[in-house]
Amino acid sequence: MRWLVRLVTPIVWRIPGHAGRKLHGFARAEEGSRIDLLQAARQTPSVVRRARYLRHALDETRHAAMFARASARLRRDDGRPPLGPPVADTEELFERLGEVGFLAFVHRGERRGRQQFEIYRDHFARRGDARTAAIFEAILADERQHEGYTREVLVEVAGGERPARAALRRAARWEAWRTWRRAGRFVVERLYTVAMMALYVAIAPLALAVRRLQPARRGWLPPGED
Amino acid sequence: MAAVLGISGYYHDAAAALVVDGRVVAAMQEERFSRIKNDAGLPRRAAQACLAAGGLAAADLDQVVFYEQPFAKLERVLMSLLRTFPRSLRQFPRALAAQLGQKIWVLDQIAEMLDVPRDRVTATEHHRAHAASAFFVSPFARAAVLTVDGVGEATSTALWRGDGDRLDCVGRIEFPHSLGLLYAGLTAYLGFEVNEGEYKVMGLAAFGAPRFRDEFARLVQLHGDGSFELGLDYFGHLADAELGFGPRLEALLGPRRPPGKPWDLEHSAEDRRYADIAATLQAVTEDALLALAREAGRRTGADALCLAGGVALNAVANARLRREAGFARVFVQPAAGDAGAALGAALLGALGRGDPRPAPLASAALGTAISAAEAQALAEQLGLRWRRLDDVPAEVATRIAAGQLVAFCQGRFEWGPRALGQRSLLAAPSSPATRDRINRVVKRREPFRPFAPAVLADRAGELFADAPSDLTPFMTTVCPVRAERAAALGAVTHVDGTARVQTVAAGGALHAVLDAVGDATGVPVVLNTSLNGPGEPIVAAATEAVAFLVAHPIDALIVEDLLLTREAT
Repeated sequence: MRWLVRLVTPIVWRIPGHAGRKLHGFARAEEGSRIDLLQAARQTPSVVRRARYLRHALDETRHAAMFARASARLRRDDGRPPLGPPVADTEELFERLGEVGFLAFVHRGERRGRQQFEIYRDHFARRGDARTAAIFEAILADERQHEGYTREVLVEVAGGERPARAALRRAARWEAWRTWRRAGRFVVERLYTVAMMALYVAIAPLALAVRRLQPARRGWLPPGED
Repeated sequence: MAAVLGISGYYHDAAAALVVDGRVVAAMQEERFSRIKNDAGLPRRAAQACLAAGGLAAADLDQVVFYEQPFAKLERVLMSLLRTFPRSLRQFPRALAAQLGQKIWVLDQIAEMLDVPRDRVTATEHHRAHAASAFFVSPFARAAVLTVDGVGEATSTALWRGDGDRLDCVGRIEFPHSLGLLYAGLTAYLGFEVNEGEYKVMGLAAFGAPRFRDEFARLVQLHGDGSFELGLDYFGHLADAELGFGPRLEALLGPRRPPGKPWDLEHSAEDRRYADIAATLQAVTEDALLALAREAGRRTGADALCLAGGVALNAVANARLRREAGFARVFVQPAAGDAGAALGAALLGALGRGDPRPAPLASAALGTAISAAEAQALAEQLGLRWRRLDDVPAEVATRIAAGQLVAFCQGRFEWGPRALGQRSLLAAPSSPATRDRINRVVKRREPFRPFAPAVLADRAGELFADAPSDLTPFMTTVCPVRAERAAALGAVTHVDGTARVQTVAAGGALHAVLDAVGDATGVPVVLNTSLNGPGEPIVAAATEAVAFLVAHPIDALIVEDLLLTREAT
């Protein structure tokens, strides 16, 4: 996969507005990771791991801010407005996967992130954008550390190298299943939208009737059921 | 006697509240646990935490009450989509997916989430839940109650007569005419996030002049009977819930402000124009609320007023209502927005089962407690310095007098969006440089946003006009700073000469700190701001409190009697 990313990176990052959007997407991903790690810190029974998750979460906070600032700068250079602060959701990974599964998932994510960021760092360095390349380089140092410690803790919590490898395989399968479901949802959402559009056109007479017979009411209305 | 859990969720600010035998036992927002600001899911963790606080299991609950009626809401959404055909084209698939795929099943989902029989889960009207959340914990036996928010099921504004354990609706205004959506639309126009940036608009307004009255007369018409009507062509909430305003608003007021662009009110004429728009919005909203409150007084004959709904969090408007609406007393509970409706839902359920009305709300500390032992264990792992204190107030006072920023965590966290001394960042109130430092290095927020003072209740009148009052314990109003004391309160005085005062009665940890600060400096006031980083919910547990210390350049963290610092103490 890395060769594909290396191949397409110079092309897609030249698309106007892409870099700013992409960096803002990274900021959102880091923000989501921060929330997951804070939840993990609350839930792990070990105070040692709580401290490590907390440090990791603080790194993610910093990364999200760095990416968001870089995104705003690139967009400003392009004459575009910033995309605002990164907002993210959580998949409740710690609760869903358990601590071993969570660690395996985070480790895989960190490794994937490190590999991608190395490509992007090189890309920006080649383009002469030392400032953006430096951001990736700074974050890469943390990503390597995260990749290392999550592997180490995974082995410890899973109870050895073999169960840790099994957990990583399970995490890979879970990710593949999640990607498949996301693809399915993408297709179904499009089909749903088309079906709803057709329904929307079909209800036009009803809509006209409602507008005529039951327009929005104004002023004081009598008490009654809301 | 009954145990009733109230639930709000699936819009924004999910929350749970527990009332047992007519006593408010716990009330918490989900965001404090999930760490997602304004968490819009169902309050699973908050509900469990409420049960734990009451020493109950879900099976012990007699009733669970959701804060709005899902099918009434579905009807309003469908009618609205049909009325705005074909402009609702974009909104139609999304709205139907949200309603049919999730929201109409909410009572079943709550039963499943808590593992309680489905017949114990009921729903109440949204605005009735708001009204109950204010009136039934107010100090008033009789009151007019005004509920104003974006929209509930169909109602956006309602007037109620509260009498003992009864609440009777005496008038209502329906969506799409909504002061909450007027404010939300302009909040989005000014580049802020809806349901989050309204406070920023309120702060910004003080920097402008209300010179867009003519333009706003097209956006909202106020009628002689206290009702109002929006100029719907200017707004987007009928056809697109995300945007909030339409292209005609930009044609009227000029282009919207790009979200996230830094503010420069000193040098940018454009930003000063946006401040004038915010000032006009604030003035028009106050006028509308004043007319509604006067109508509420006329219809109920009451001499006290309770307010609830998201618009009731507008502290500046509340101050004007208190001065001009003709009521002797005004009350707003600390979580006046949608989170607060969970409390109202629980109270309605309890009263409906014959339980007595609860005592007036004396404290907002209705969350979970914080553990100093947990903070200490974590501090040791992170290499932080710690020591136990013999005299917490003296330590805090000394540090504040020395110009330090002190994170202060005591007891159960607060109910509502304000830090009231349980999870607060405290500092000296005198120097504007302190305010700028907090804004720049901790909060990283817009420079025009003010900070609030906490003051001893029995000495508040010396420093602030109109204080104390029924509003000041929960920081739901603003008070003019007395001119002769302004120099001592530079960090907490807004540009218009007011401050969002919290008065602190005897008995709590913050009171002892204020006493000690008063002894040390002669002014029993601290700057009190919420303990959270930018875009984050306020700290709840020791884990987040310690994380806050590590991540921000503050000087100390105090968790109960434990002092934590980065350097040797």
